[in-house]
Amino acid sequence: MGLSSDAAGVDVRIVGAGTTLGGRWVVDGVDATPPAGALTGLLGPNGAGKTTLLRLVAGLLNPEAGAVLVDDSPVHALARRERARRIAFVEQESASTVPLTVREVVALGRIPFRSLWGADDDEDAVPRALRSAGAEHLADRAWSTLSGGERQRVHVARALAQQPSLLLLDEPTNHLDISAQLSLLAFVRDLRITSVAALHDLNLAAAFCEHVLVLSAGRLVAAGHPSEVLTADLVRDVYGVESDVLTHPRTGRPVIAFHEPAPDPDPTSKEPS
Amino acid sequence: MTRETTTEPRPTGATQPARAARRVPLATLVVVGLVLLVATVLVTVAIGPAGLSPGEVARSIGGHLGFDVAPVPRLHDAIVWELRLPRVLTAAAVGAGLALAGAVMQSLTRNPLADPYLLGLSSGASLGAVAVLVVGVSLLLPVAAFAGALLALVATLALARTGRTLTPSRAVLAGLAVSQLCAALTSLVIFWTATGDSYREILSWLLGSLAGSTWQSVAIAGVAVLVVGAIVLTQGVRLDAFAFGDTAAAALGIDVDRTRWVLMTLVALLTGAMVAVSGAIGFVGLVLPHAVVALTGPAHRRLLPVAALAGAIFLVWADTLARTVFDPRELPVGIVTAIVGVPVFAVLLRRRQGASWG
Repeated sequence: MGLSSDAAGVDVRIVGAGTTLGGRWVVDGVDATPPAGALTGLLGPNGAGKTTLLRLVAGLLNPEAGAVLVDDSPVHALARRERARRIAFVEQESASTVPLTVREVVALGRIPFRSLWGADDDEDAVPRALRSAGAEHLADRAWSTLSGGERQRVHVARALAQQPSLLLLDEPTNHLDISAQLSLLAFVRDLRITSVAALHDLNLAAAFCEHVLVLSAGRLVAAGHPSEVLTADLVRDVYGVESDVLTHPRTGRPVIAFHEPAPDPDPTSKEPS
Repeated sequence: MTRETTTEPRPTGATQPARAARRVPLATLVVVGLVLLVATVLVTVAIGPAGLSPGEVARSIGGHLGFDVAPVPRLHDAIVWELRLPRVLTAAAVGAGLALAGAVMQSLTRNPLADPYLLGLSSGASLGAVAVLVVGVSLLLPVAAFAGALLALVATLALARTGRTLTPSRAVLAGLAVSQLCAALTSLVIFWTATGDSYREILSWLLGSLAGSTWQSVAIAGVAVLVVGAIVLTQGVRLDAFAFGDTAAAALGIDVDRTRWVLMTLVALLTGAMVAVSGAIGFVGLVLPHAVVALTGPAHRRLLPVAALAGAIFLVWADTLARTVFDPRELPVGIVTAIVGVPVFAVLLRRRQGASWG
């Protein structure tokens, strides 16, 4: 494999993975290798198959074709508990009606490590996860009183309590204000865990991801460093939107300036919504 | 990477209750609960027309259990041992079972309004039981009630499921539909077959009543609660995992489908046993878990045993009210639990305005 340069990173290979929903291939023959120990952005319009691909990688959905290999083991063949000790999944807009405190939410991440009676051999895991997610000051707050950004951060803390070697996030920046979006993605990037995040905002992906995968109608249409992949042609082909790709004056990363939608986009690249 | 602000400024933790930090130890809660339950039994058995004292009650029970105690007048002894104690113990077992069933259902469906009553299980169980009572289907009553509860459960889940997940609001809507259907079928059975006095008997039973309790009721409800309760307690951690829904539970390594079916079948079994001895008593399963969460926190290995004890104590008192307030006439206990339960529920609902219910 040879990609791993960091102890926290795990090698993930997506090999011809596909699955259907209602007879349609929503993820179709995807081959990809998110780099170990880095943040990969999963891009594409609504309905492109981002969430489904994340679920396949998380082992929550069995592939009907191909496989997802984590350190050479097929994810869907791992025992559930074992899988939950390696892979953490942060859902899109995950809410609860249970009156939990933040500490209790983070403690949910220890479930794969608990015995039948709830004993956990690593008592320090929850405070550690709270600390590293910068959520210690929230620990005794009621979950229901948190803002969107705080909730997302606590979800990441919960995921960290699973001590994962692979972290998956489904549109983690949805509904967050700009400061929360930036700090969340910077935080995930700096964890140096192999991470894959589905993102809508191409500029956020360009700024924070080491690697991006672009899906369109269930197929992988581009993969690589954002500065190679995120071109005006790709944005037109995949999203049907004209744009100019500039260079960020401080980071040198691409910045995409969109125009109004193209009058007559290529109909084959448009997703039925 | 430390605590940079992720949000608009808002008051810090100081204004929020730090509930997790100082929760009462589980052992304390259980011991206090058990003491209160024993006291409740002694006091409530004494309450009623015969003018017994809790001391006499204790001596009567002690005598039957083989302790060397001063004897109690025979009539009093018979009132305690043959009439009131079986009824009070049945109430305790049913109350514990209803609270357990409610807590489990609320977690599995992620709907704070879920309980066996609202999800149609009680109505299904009632249908099964009425079919036995009235039509004379040759099945044991508890078996028929269990079969009815299980069928109602299957129907509710089949209606409620969309794709692979169960959404909280659909669960309750489907439960409503199933419960209406079962109620209609029950009425049909009664209309078709019942004559004279059996109407009143069936009605009081449909509303929930402990008036007919015997030692056999104690055995049926008690064994069901102890066995199902013991199994459910081992599933506490799994139930915790459902807090953020099916996908989150699956991502934490839980076999969502299997856990849901096993636990819901156990709840159906429990509901069948409860309904067989007492009819369909509402609001205990709905209200008690919410009231207890404030004390225990939402972790199920703390919540479940305390909810069971609280349910037992609550239903014993509710039934005591049911049989004494309009003495010598008796109310179905289901009316009392509704009258007490609905305001408590309203208070809880208002208190938790901040939380996203529904």
